[in-house]
Amino acid sequence: MKEIMEEKVIYAMYEDDDVLLNGAKALVAEGVHISDVYSPMPIHGIDPVIGVEPTRLGIAAFLYGLTGTMLAAIGLRYFMITDWPMNIGGKPSFSLLENIPSFIPIFFEFTVLCAAHGMAITYLLRNKTLPGMPPRNPDPRTTDDKFVIEINESENSKHSLKEITAMLKKTGVVEMEEKVIK
Amino acid sequence: MNYQISNKAKKVTLGLSAIGLVMVVLGFFHQKDYVYADYVNEHALTIRYNGDASDEMQNDLKIEMNSILNSKGYKVDFHDANHDESHNEGHASHGFEWEAHIESNHEGEHVNHGHHEDISASIVEMIDSGEISFFDTHYRRFWSNLLVNGFFFFGIALGALFYLALHYATESGWGVVLLRIMEGIMSAMPVGIVVLLIVFIAGSLGFHHIYPWMDSDVMDPNSSHFDKLIYGKKAYLNQPFFYLRVVAYFATFFLFMKWFKKKSRQEDNEGGTESHFKMYRRGALFLVFFAVFSSTMAWDFLMSIDTHWFSTLYGWYVFSGIWLSGMVMVMMITLYLRKGGYLPFVKESHIHDVGKWMFALSFLWSYLWFSQFMLIWYSNIPEEVQYYFSRINDYKFIFFGTFVINFVFPMVFLMSRDTKRSAGYLIVIGLIIFIGHWLDVFNLVMPGTLFDQWNFGLLEIGMFLMFLGIFVYTVLKAIGKSPLLQKNHPFLEESKHHEF
Repeated sequence: MKEIMEEKVIYAMYEDDDVLLNGAKALVAEGVHISDVYSPMPIHGIDPVIGVEPTRLGIAAFLYGLTGTMLAAIGLRYFMITDWPMNIGGKPSFSLLENIPSFIPIFFEFTVLCAAHGMAITYLLRNKTLPGMPPRNPDPRTTDDKFVIEINESENSKHSLKEITAMLKKTGVVEMEEKVIK
Repeated sequence: MNYQISNKAKKVTLGLSAIGLVMVVLGFFHQKDYVYADYVNEHALTIRYNGDASDEMQNDLKIEMNSILNSKGYKVDFHDANHDESHNEGHASHGFEWEAHIESNHEGEHVNHGHHEDISASIVEMIDSGEISFFDTHYRRFWSNLLVNGFFFFGIALGALFYLALHYATESGWGVVLLRIMEGIMSAMPVGIVVLLIVFIAGSLGFHHIYPWMDSDVMDPNSSHFDKLIYGKKAYLNQPFFYLRVVAYFATFFLFMKWFKKKSRQEDNEGGTESHFKMYRRGALFLVFFAVFSSTMAWDFLMSIDTHWFSTLYGWYVFSGIWLSGMVMVMMITLYLRKGGYLPFVKESHIHDVGKWMFALSFLWSYLWFSQFMLIWYSNIPEEVQYYFSRINDYKFIFFGTFVINFVFPMVFLMSRDTKRSAGYLIVIGLIIFIGHWLDVFNLVMPGTLFDQWNFGLLEIGMFLMFLGIFVYTVLKAIGKSPLLQKNHPFLEESKHHEF
C-alpha cells in the first residue's frame, strides 16, 4: 500500500480584523509561519506580517493601459485619418498629430477600459475565482464577517501543532478547526 | 507643543523679501513700451506705434536711433507715413508710423562689401527685443505683476481655508493634526487682500488699464473708444457692483477665517463637542458661499481682463489651481516644521495623504485645463478662440510649459507610494508645481494686460520672492501664536492613529 501524503492544517477564526492582525503578529514573532489569511475585505498592513510579496497587478495594469492607448491610436488613425478623413469643424483631418486634442478623450477612455478589464480578469484568473469556479476558502463565512488564519503543519517544523494551538488560543480566536488535507 | 519662528527662518524669509524688493525697484525702471518695426529692405524700415507718446518722447526716440546708427557709420531720415492727418478728427492721438531711410555716411567708400551687414535688419531686431523702446509710463508690468502675485498668494490662503472648511464639513478625521498648519496658512490672507484691493482701486483711479471695462470711454456710446461687446456686459461689469462683490468676497472669506480660528481656540480651552459641531455646520455653510464666490471671483479678478472672452469652466479651472497651491503650501510648511521636530504626531501616513492630494489635484487641474482648451479649440468660434490665439502666439513656451510642469511632473514623480512618503521628492516636486502654478496665474493675467510686450526679468522674479518671503513669514508667525495640536478635537485620537 502506497503511503499518501497527508498534511494537517489549522484554521483559526476571528471576528475582528484588528484582533487577527495582532494575533498574526504575535505568532510570527514566535516563529510560526502563516500560510494564508482569508478575509472578506483587505486588512491594512497584513501583507508584510505574513510575508506576502507586493502584488505585481499594478505593473500588469500599466501594460494593459499602454495596450489600450496604442490600440486607440492605431484605431483612430485608421478610422479618422486613413480610411475616411472627416472634416469636423474645419479641423485638420489628414494628420493624427495635428488633430490629437480631439482624440484624447477617446485615448483616455480606451486606456481606462483596457486597464480596468485587464486588471479584473487577471485578478480573477490568478486567484482562480472566475464565476462558477469552486470556492477555495475554508469556510463560507470568510466572505461574510469572519476572518481566518491558515497554518500548515509541514511549514512549521519548529513547533508542534499542539504548541501552535496553544499560542492561537491566547490571541482571541473564536473558533478553531484542524483538518487533514490529502 | 508650541512653535516659535526661529531667528534663522525670520532672516531667510525677510531677507528673501528684501532681495525681492531690491529686484523690484531695479526692475521698475526697466519697464518698456515697445514700438514695432517692419523690415522693408536693407535701407528702409517702417516703425509703428499706436500708444500714447508725446512729441518730445518721439523726438528722443529719433535721436536715440540716430546716435546708434551714427556710431555704426550710418544716418537715418524719418518720414511720417501718415500723411493724411484728417483721420484724427481733432482727437489728439500720439501714435505714429514712420518710414525710416538709412544711408551710409561714407558714400563711395563701399570697399568693405565682404562683410556687409544688413543695418536695417539689425535695427528691426533691436526694436523687437525692446532695446529701442519707450519707457512705459503706465507701469503696466508692475501693476500686472502685483495682480499676479496678489492673486496667487491670496489663492493659497483661500485654498487652505477651503480645505479646512471641507475637513470640518465632511467630518474627516485623518487630518486633524494638520489643521493648525492650515489655520496658519489661511491667516496670511490679508497679504493678498490688501494687494488686490490696491490693484483694483488703482484701476478705478486710472493708474492702469488692466480692466478695460473700468474705462468710462469704453462704455460711452458716443466715444471713439466705445466697445459694443463690453457695453453689453454692463449689467455685471460696472464699478459699483464690482466693488460690492469684492467687498462681499473679502468680507466673507476674512470673517470665516477669523471665526474658524476663534472657535478652534475656544475648543482648546473649553473642550467638549459644541465648538466642533458649530464648526461642522459653519464649514458646510462656507462651502456654499465658496461654491458661488470662487467662480464669480475668478471671473471678476481674472477673466474680466480679457473682457470680450468668456468661458464657463474658468471658475473651476482657477479654483483647482488655488486648491492645489494651497495643498502644496500645507505640505511644505508641514515638512519644514516636522524636520524641526515640532510635529511628532504627524506620521508618514499624513504626509502620504497630503501627497495624494497634490497628485490628485494636479490631475483635476490638468483635466480642466484640457477640457477648456479642447472645447474652444474644437468649436473654433472667433470670440472664444482669440484667448488661446494670443497665448499660443506670444506665450507659447510658458503656455504649454505650465501644462507639462503641472501635469507630467506630478504624474510621473508622485505616482508611486514611496515618493509620496519621501520628504526630498515631495519638496522638489512641490516646488516645481508651486512655481508651475505661479506661471499659470502669470499666464492668466499677462496676455490680457501686456499682450505681446511681456518680459520676464528682475521685476517678475523679484516680486515673486518678495511676496513669498512676506507670505511665509506671516504664516510661520501665525502658526507660532497657538499650540500646534488641537488637543480637544473629537477626532484627534483617530488622526493620531492614522496609518495605512
